[in-house]
Formats: sequence, structure tokens, C-alpha cells
Amino acid sequence: MRSKWIRQTALGLGLVSLFSLPVTAQPLYTSVDDDDEEEEEADSEEDSPEWFAVVGADIHDGRGGVLRGASLLAKDGKIEEIGYDLVLPEETEVLDASGYRVYPGLVAVKSSGLFGGSTDLEDSVDPFNQDMVLALAAGITTAEQSNQAAKLKRGEIEGLVMNPKTSSSISFRSSDPKGKRTQRERFAAAAAYLRAYRQWEEDVKKDKELKEPSKSGIDSTALAVLRAEVLPWFSADERHDLLEIARLAQEYGFRPVIEGCGEGWTVADELGRAGAYAVVTPRYRRARSENLVRAGGSSIENAAKLHAAGVQVAIQPASTGVSLGGIVGRDIMHLTIEAGFAIRGGLSEQAAFEAITIVPARLLGVAHRVGTLEVGKDCDLVVTDGDIMHYQTFVQWAVVDGKEVYDKADELFFAHIRPRPESSIAPESKVDPGEEVVEEIEEVKESAD
Amino acid sequence: MHFSPWTILGSLALALPAGAAPLTGGGPVVLRASSAETVANGTLEHAVILVEDGVITAVGEDLPVERGIPIIDLPPGWVVMPGLINPYSRVAMDGKGKSDSRPQAQASVELYASHDDYQDLLEAGFTTLGQYPAGTGIPGQAVALNLGPDGPSVALDPAYLKIVLNASSSSKRMLRDGFEEVDEYLEKEAKNREKWDKEQEKKKKSKKKDDDDEKDDKKDDDEKEEDKKKDSEPDVYVPLVPDPEVQVFMHLRDGTLSALVSIDNAAEYLHLVDAIGEEEFAWGLRVPLTRDINLYEVTDKIGERGLRVVVEPSLTLHPGTMRQRNLSSELARAGAKLCFIPRFDSVSGHEDLLLHAAEIVAAGLERGAALRALTLEPAELLGLGEGRGSIEEGKRADLIFLDGDPFEVGTKVRAVMLDGEFVTGEVPQ
Amino acid sequence: MLRSLFLGLLSLVLVAPAPAFVRPADEAAPMRYALHAAKVLTMDDEDHVYTPGTVLVEDGRITWVGPGRETPEGFTGLDYPTSWITPGMVDLHTHVHTGSWGDINDMVRAINPELRTSPTIRAGNPNLKRACAAGVTTLFGIPGSGTNISGFGVLYKSKGGRGYESAVLADPGGMKVAQDSNPQRRAGDMGASRAGMGWNLEDINQRALAAIEQDRFDPALENLKRVHKRELPVLIHTAGSEGVVNTARMWRVTYDTRSVLSHGSFDGWKVASALAEIGIPINHGPRTTDWFSSRNGRINNSAGEYQRAGGPNFSLNTDSGVIPQEEFFLQGAMGARYDGDAYGMLRAMTIHPAKAFGIDDRVGSLEVGKDADVVVRAGDPLDPRAAVELVLIDGRLEYDRLRDGQRF
Repeated sequence: MRSKWIRQTALGLGLVSLFSLPVTAQPLYTSVDDDDEEEEEADSEEDSPEWFAVVGADIHDGRGGVLRGASLLAKDGKIEEIGYDLVLPEETEVLDASGYRVYPGLVAVKSSGLFGGSTDLEDSVDPFNQDMVLALAAGITTAEQSNQAAKLKRGEIEGLVMNPKTSSSISFRSSDPKGKRTQRERFAAAAAYLRAYRQWEEDVKKDKELKEPSKSGIDSTALAVLRAEVLPWFSADERHDLLEIARLAQEYGFRPVIEGCGEGWTVADELGRAGAYAVVTPRYRRARSENLVRAGGSSIENAAKLHAAGVQVAIQPASTGVSLGGIVGRDIMHLTIEAGFAIRGGLSEQAAFEAITIVPARLLGVAHRVGTLEVGKDCDLVVTDGDIMHYQTFVQWAVVDGKEVYDKADELFFAHIRPRPESSIAPESKVDPGEEVVEEIEEVKESAD
Repeated sequence: MHFSPWTILGSLALALPAGAAPLTGGGPVVLRASSAETVANGTLEHAVILVEDGVITAVGEDLPVERGIPIIDLPPGWVVMPGLINPYSRVAMDGKGKSDSRPQAQASVELYASHDDYQDLLEAGFTTLGQYPAGTGIPGQAVALNLGPDGPSVALDPAYLKIVLNASSSSKRMLRDGFEEVDEYLEKEAKNREKWDKEQEKKKKSKKKDDDDEKDDKKDDDEKEEDKKKDSEPDVYVPLVPDPEVQVFMHLRDGTLSALVSIDNAAEYLHLVDAIGEEEFAWGLRVPLTRDINLYEVTDKIGERGLRVVVEPSLTLHPGTMRQRNLSSELARAGAKLCFIPRFDSVSGHEDLLLHAAEIVAAGLERGAALRALTLEPAELLGLGEGRGSIEEGKRADLIFLDGDPFEVGTKVRAVMLDGEFVTGEVPQ
Repeated sequence: MLRSLFLGLLSLVLVAPAPAFVRPADEAAPMRYALHAAKVLTMDDEDHVYTPGTVLVEDGRITWVGPGRETPEGFTGLDYPTSWITPGMVDLHTHVHTGSWGDINDMVRAINPELRTSPTIRAGNPNLKRACAAGVTTLFGIPGSGTNISGFGVLYKSKGGRGYESAVLADPGGMKVAQDSNPQRRAGDMGASRAGMGWNLEDINQRALAAIEQDRFDPALENLKRVHKRELPVLIHTAGSEGVVNTARMWRVTYDTRSVLSHGSFDGWKVASALAEIGIPINHGPRTTDWFSSRNGRINNSAGEYQRAGGPNFSLNTDSGVIPQEEFFLQGAMGARYDGDAYGMLRAMTIHPAKAFGIDDRVGSLEVGKDADVVVRAGDPLDPRAAVELVLIDGRLEYDRLRDGQRF
């Protein structure tokens, strides 16, 4: 099926190049039998890359830089060039985004339902899934589901999964002291094994007969974590749990991911020192125990305080799926709104944007491909009609791997909402001072004089 | 038209001795109708159809008919068309299937031939019926039945292999495994052959040696003579017998069996194509047209392949809206071949099939495509397209007689001819 | 004397963020404040916006609103040179007065006009503290929708510390009625269907009218009588296009009450123009969009549709805790996002609900003589990024981000 499709595309391209050739040029094909022709067409397909460009937009690279009225060129789904006066190959598919803004596609550190299907995304994904369209409409181009990182490649199943295993979940909470002890023992055993293994690596150079230390009884997850092959994913909100995780991480030398992290702001420095990642929901509410003397409970300043202490903060919404129940502003379609609440609590705009792009990309092990717009990275971007963090901004187009996968005008969901200028809630000032006021103003002026 | 008047004249000699033959008995008979839906060659006005020995031997417009051949003149307004064919039914069958892979299973062993439903279906205008095995996974092979007044008989078994594919690793693996097992068998077989060949070689050599020995040593001549006899018997290679399930997939590969794959949505089509990979075999699709189905996402791809698609004549709704979609029409326009089956797999569902097909025609499906979807395409799907499904010379005279246009509300099936014989209803003379 | 010197100094450093040190930790008596900001949205009938603007507050009331001016003598100047000032928000559909979910439905009987929420109010509970810190200053705390008439709610303010009497604006503030699915009875008595519920309401309304006619005292009906005398408003839980029409007919056409239609969710927006014609105010939420019921493929902005239909005093609600009380503003933001008018959405959370409930003489806009419920925000009141800096209720400094720490 796939090869057939390619052949047909190739045929189309072949024709184009035929017509564009000068008459004197030697014919592309001499009399060859069908099979040879097919081969040749397939070859020409390999030779002609797919070009895609967004032009005329304010390009926000996701690292804090903005190029106004610039262009971005991608070749075969990878960013080739960002800048001005780019020379676009003739066959480039051009998206004119003049007057719009371009951002790297958002990365959802957790999601549910966007890809449909079950745990094995590759074989079960539904790339026509409505939730995927709605997530693209929300600016998301990469998301985690069932512990896999995948792209919102609409209508395609190939190349969708980017990382088949993003993290290992580790239970470590005070409500289960026995489980905690077990975890600790696992890390201790894994660490001892690693020491023995390193020693063996040295010794075996001298004595080739030496046996490799036995792996039996060593917890594979703990070992993978210590070898930095997988990120350990904790889920904790309470202060003492957070502290214990930080200590465990420091003791064994790994970087923990802590989802929830509700009281993280009270121990931000400790988490920062432990090199923790925090996955927070800024609007999360947790009552402070009434008889607590120290600080506790949730705080709108959580993300800001964690970030200030050096914790890498990723933001996830209260609901990780798409919700069409009518209550709006709390699901994954409002990831930027959730990030807005972190800004409300003092996080910088840039850090908040990173918390829904490059930081989750790092957590999912795909930061080398997505999360920012840089040459060599995947051409996954969104084009918006305004500041992506503003509550009235809409995604007009979403692009994944250099292919347009969402066009607001083509989908029923939001097509009826016309692009609007960035609005101000009360654009016109209506100053209509009454007589008395005028007098008072005169008085003020006089006194000022 | 593909008609030469000589056909009728030529057959006259055969026909005459029978004289004024009754409507039954297999003798030649001419049907004259104000309109005939040939399916293969469009609608004929003032149609004349000659039937001999259960086979259509001539068909055309306004053909002259020599005296002596019994003529059945259909009442004005009546239409004759090929019998309806449902390729995908479990009517008169019961039992639940499993969800594993058992391609060697056969629906034909499940049949309950004396079930009343078969007669009811015949009266509703169905002359051929495909029955599939129950269950998901790869439930087995369907059978094609001739419906008849004395109960059904097998027309072709197996007719096709039913496969249910859903978006899951296990389901996709099931299909891949089927072909992989063929590869494994072929490999094993090739090795076996090689081994045999080598043994033959060895035998030849040792025989040569024996012969040489013979020259040297002429003792025990009798014994040697016997050996010689044994050796001279040409050894015949007996291939390894593949397991029955492997045989089914071999038949898919060699084209003697086709598959009908059931999917539920657009994504499953992609997964199916992914699971098939480079494998080449004939396959069609069964897609239940559920209310909000998103099949339109892949109609172009389906059409491009010219796939046969089994659907109910139902309008669907564009997901999330009240906007009706005529996916049958979209599929046909894209190049797919439709097979219509009743919305409900019951007797009354079969009785409503024409009416429901008419709705789809009214909603934009090309009339010819709808007629094919009721007759010729299902016949092709069942592997019976050579002999039935249209009014053409050489095809079985399985015909139905309607008292009006097939897509007119209120039109009824008034009579059914099977194999050249009227089996239900009557034609007023 | 010392204070005025202090203020003089303060006016010199106008650009600095509002310093907290001039404010008394707890005021023994209401103070006189001069609030200065980059923008003052008065939400009055003429839509006055002052950029910059000043609001003067004395004895719990607003005494002056206008373009930016210097702090008059005797006033404590509070300067927010980059912030916006708006009136405190008014939410007519809330359940957080109990401090938690629960304690809002008395399910034994379908009709409970004798009940009041006042015994269940926990003034200054943590929900209300956060609400205050988000600029929600007036709430209608009502019983749930478990029964057709669940009782009478209290209009109160999100004040803490000084007890129930200080917080209450009106008790009873109005009646709560529930139609459509929620109050459907599964107890075997009357009211399992919409017909039964309709009769339950019909029956009690007729009895109240009869009591008025006969000038007869009935302890269970006294408050309902006031509803029919148009002394008290009534808020009606209803949804869906059929439900809202039934409700409007009963409470506006059959009985001429000061009724406000609450929710109006799902595909209720489809009859928005009919409701506008009948003239019943809509109090919309917590659902403000619809996809499932309307089946036109769109994410329909029901808030925007009601707004555009032009009915009287369209307002929004949270149905808190369905939506956390402090996120009231987000209802407006989402209404504006999905194609509604942003300024109109702000009206729907300030002056419109006040007018719909007849308390616009006290709250809902920044006008001379009204309660000094004033909110200072870092920016656009609909923008989640703009934190509330300061909240005055009845002229008292109820929340100060710098003094209290950021609560929301």
C-alpha cells in the first residue's frame, strides 16, 4: 500500500519535472519496461525531498527569541532554516502566516484519549480520533499516553510513537512505609550491583576469567533509573513525602520526576538541590491542615517558587483528556490557560511556556526533536492569531513533521469563530467627567502648578 | 446489445419439439418485459429474454420470437432483474463464535438447512446467500448457498475467508502470523525437498556404484536383480502436508480464496493495510455503517484500490452533527465496489433491502451502482460472478419479477425464477 | 499630620508597586481610601472607563469615581499604576457557603418553601477567602437542585472575620427552584416526571396566591408569598431547550415573578431569542459551551449565544463548587474565548447579576453611593495571568496580596 502511494506521488512529480525541462533536455525515460520505470520513479522520489515553509510570521522559537515577519523552511519534516529572505525551493508547500505568530507545538506531559487506542499505541492508535483534532486545536503536537511519547500525526500511524517508554512509575509514599522500605532496598541493591559491576569492568581487564557480577535479585527499574536510562516518576503532594523523595534521589544520585508536588513550594530549595522535575497543576487545591504551624497546602505560587529554586517545572491541566461536557477551561484543551495560572502565581511568561513545551519534551525523552523551533529539529509548530497564552487566542494551523494537520477553517469545531485582533476587554476609554469632576480636575491642576 | 437474432432462431430447432411447454420443466421459455434491469448492460426497454435449461441464452430489446416458444408476457410496468444476493448473512444460523484464529473453520457445517427463513428469503427475492462463520479474530470460511424451494444447497464452499480486524497488536499479529506460518511451511518444505533431492542424488550414486560393483562381482545375481528392481522404481516426492490453517492462507496467496475483512472505522483500515504489509491477496471490506462512523477519512484510499465493500444501505451522520452523509455514494464515487446487505440480518430486514437501497439512490447513489450492489458485486464477492448476478447470456436464470421500478416505494417482488423455473409467486397472464 | 506627610511621600513614588506598610493590619473603623490605577472599569450604565482613574471610598461607600487625581487629604492613597480596577463580582448561583459540598439538599419532600440556607452559612470559610482573593465579593448562597423548591438563599459577601451579620446583604435573598432532570423524584412520590414536578410547583404557587388573596398567615408560605408579591427574586435551575421554555412560561408568563433562569445549559441557547423576547434574565453556567446536545459539530458558545440574543441582564455563574468559586472570572474568559464579547462577559459577572436580582443599588458597579466593593487586578480581569492585588468590601481591606500572601 505504502509503496504504491509513493509511486503515484512520484509519478506526479515526474510529470512536473518533465514539463519544466527544456525541450532539448534528454528524455527522462527511454523505452524501459514497467518494472524498471517503477524503480526509477521510486528513486526520483527519494531524491526529491518534501519542502514546507511558513512565511511572514512572528516566529517565537520557544527559547525566548522572536523573529518578526520571518520564515521557517523545513525539509522532509525537519527544520532546515529559520530567518529572513529564505530561498524556497520551487516545490515548497508554503503556508502564508503573515500577521500571525508561530510557536513550537505544545507538549502535553500527560494525556488521555488523544490517540484513542489502548496501551500499545503503534498498533491501536486512532489517528482520526476527534480528541486528537481538538488537542491540535489547542496547540498540542506531542503528547504522552500510556507511558509513550507520540506525535499528533493525523491520519497516519507510521512514525507516530517517538518514545515507547517514557518513565517508570515508583511508589514511594508515607502511607505505605513497607513499600517505601522495599523501594529503598531495591535502590541499595541496584547501587551495590553497579559498584560491583564497575569494579568488575576494571578487574576483568587483568583477569579475563573473572565472572560478571550476578544481576539476579536486582530490580530492573531501580537499575535503569540509576543508569539514567529511564526517569523515575513519583507521585506526591505532601511535604514530608517530597522531602523523602528528594533525599532518596540525592542518596542514589538520580533526578526524580514528581507529579503533583502540591506542597512543593514549601520545600522548593530541597527539591531544587535534588535536581527534581515537578509536574504541577497550578490550580490544584489542597487544604492546609488547620493545626499546621508551618506553611502547607496548595499555593498558586507553587510553580513560580519551584522554578525559582531550580526545579524544572512542567505543567499539566486538571483533566488530561479532552472534555466536551460544557465546563470549559480545565481540560487539556486549555493547557495554556493552566500555564496562565502559573504566571498569575509569579512564574515568568517564558518559564510558563517552557513548562508546556521543552520541559515536558525533556521528561518524555524527545527534547532533541520537539519543544523548541531550532534547525535540525522536527517541524512541529502552531500558528496562532495572537499571544498563545492569551485566553482569546486560537490556533489557526498546526503542523507536524512539516505537514499541515489542522486548519481551523476546515474543522467544524471552531471555524465559526473568526480570527480576531488581540482584544482588550475595554478598548475604548469613555472619559466623560461631569462638571463637578472638571472643577476638581482644574483644582488638581492648579495645585500641581 | 450483445445480441444476434440468430441466437433465438438457432435455438428454435431445439425448442420446437417441446411445443407449448409449460412454465416448468426446463424447456425454453421467453420472457417479455416492458423493462429489464440487466445490471451488466443497463436497463432494457421491451426486453426479451430467452431461458433454456435454466440458463439465459439470449437477451435483447424487441427481439423477434418465432412461434412455438412459450412466451411469458409480464404485465405492463413489471420489471425483471437478477435475483438479489446477500453475501454476508447469518440468517437461520445461531451460536456464538470465539475470538481466536481458526481459518479452517467452515460456516457450511453450521447450517440448518430446513430452517424456514430460507424460504422467506427466497420469497423476498433472494436467490443466493453467503453465510459467514460467527466470532471475531479469524472466524473461518463463508459458504455460498443457492436458495431453493426445497431448502438451500451449496453453491460454493468456501466462498471467502472472514477476518475481523481491530486496532490492536493481537489482531494485527493474527493476520501476519497466518502468512508467516505459510512462509515457515514453505521453508520447511523446501528443506525437505532439498533433503530428498540429496538423498536421490546419493541413491543414484550408490546405484551407480552398485552397478559398477555388479560388473566386478557377479555373485548373488538374484539378490542384485531384486535390488535393481527396487532402485529402478522412480521415487516420487511427497510434499509435507501443511496444517489446515496454513492451507487456508496458502489459498489466499495463490488466489483461490479471497478474504473479507471486517473493520469498524477509518483507523482500522490503516491498521489493516499496515498488517497486510507487502502481502498480496484478494480482499474486500465489511464496514458496518454505524451512526457517526468516520469512514469518509479513508474512502479515497479504499476507492483507489477498487475494493469491494459490504455495507448496509444506510445514511450516516457526520460525527457530532445532524448532517447526513451518504457513505455508499462517497465510496462508489471514489471507485469502490459496493455490496448492499440488509440493515438487520433478519427476514424482515431482507424484505426491506430494496426499499433501503432506494433511499440511498434517492440520496444520490448512482442507480447502476445500487443495482450492482444488490446483485453482481455480491456474486463476485462470493466467487460466483461468472455464472450469476446479471442478466447476460450464459448466466443462471435466477430472476425476480417486480411490479414496478425496483427503487420505487411500494414495489414488491411478485415472483422468483430460480434456475429457469418459477419457484414462488406468479405472473398473471 | 504625620499621616498626611506620609501620603505626600507616597505620591512621590507613584511608580513603585503599592507599598503595604501604610496599611493598618486591621482597621478598627472603616477607612477613607483613594485607589489609583491605570484603568478603572466602572461598569456603570454609560460604560465609563477611566485611564488612569481614581476611586474614593469613605465609610464603606464609594464617594467618587473618575479620571486619575491626587489623593485628597484625609485619604489613604493606594497606588497601582499598572493595574486595573473593577467592581467586585456578583455570583448568583453558589453553594460554597457551607464550606464544603453537602448540606444543601433536604430530600424528603419535593417542595420546601419554608427552608432557608442561613443556618448553613459559614462566613469566611476557606472557599470564601479564596473567592474574595479572586474578586468575587457578592454571592447568592442557595440550596441545591435536589427538590423542586429547595428553599430560600442568602445574599452575602465574601467577608471574613466579623461573622454572619456583617456578611449578609439580604436574608432571604431569593428563592431557589429546580426544574428539569435534577429534582426528578425517585422516592415513589409525586414528581417523577416533568408533569409531576410541574404540578408540585403549580400547587404550591396556587396555595401561596390563595394565602395572599385571603390575607392568611402561613408560616410555610410567607416567603413564597413575597416572591409572588415581587418582593423577592427567584432563581430557577433549568436546562435544555425544552426545559428553559417551560421555566420561562411558568415563572414569567403564568406567574409574574422576578425570576432569573439559571443554567440554561446544553442546547438551551437554541431558544435564546425566545427567552429574550419573554424578558427573563439568564444566569448561565457552569457549562458555557455545548457540543453533545446541539449536534451541529461546533463547540457552541452558549454564553455568547445568550449574550448576542440580547435578553435582559445576561449573567454568568459558577455553581460553585462545580467550578471553584475563585475561578468565576474564568467563566467570563471562556465566554469571551469562544466568540462572546469580552466586555459583555465582565458585565455578566458584575452589574448584570446585580440588576437581575435587584441589588444594583448596592453592588455591581463603581458608582457614587454604592457599597465600596472594589477589586484591583494586575491587568485584564478576565486574564488568568492577572492576579488580584487588593479587594475592598464595604470599604474594608479584605484582601491585600502583599499583606496576606497570594491566596489565588
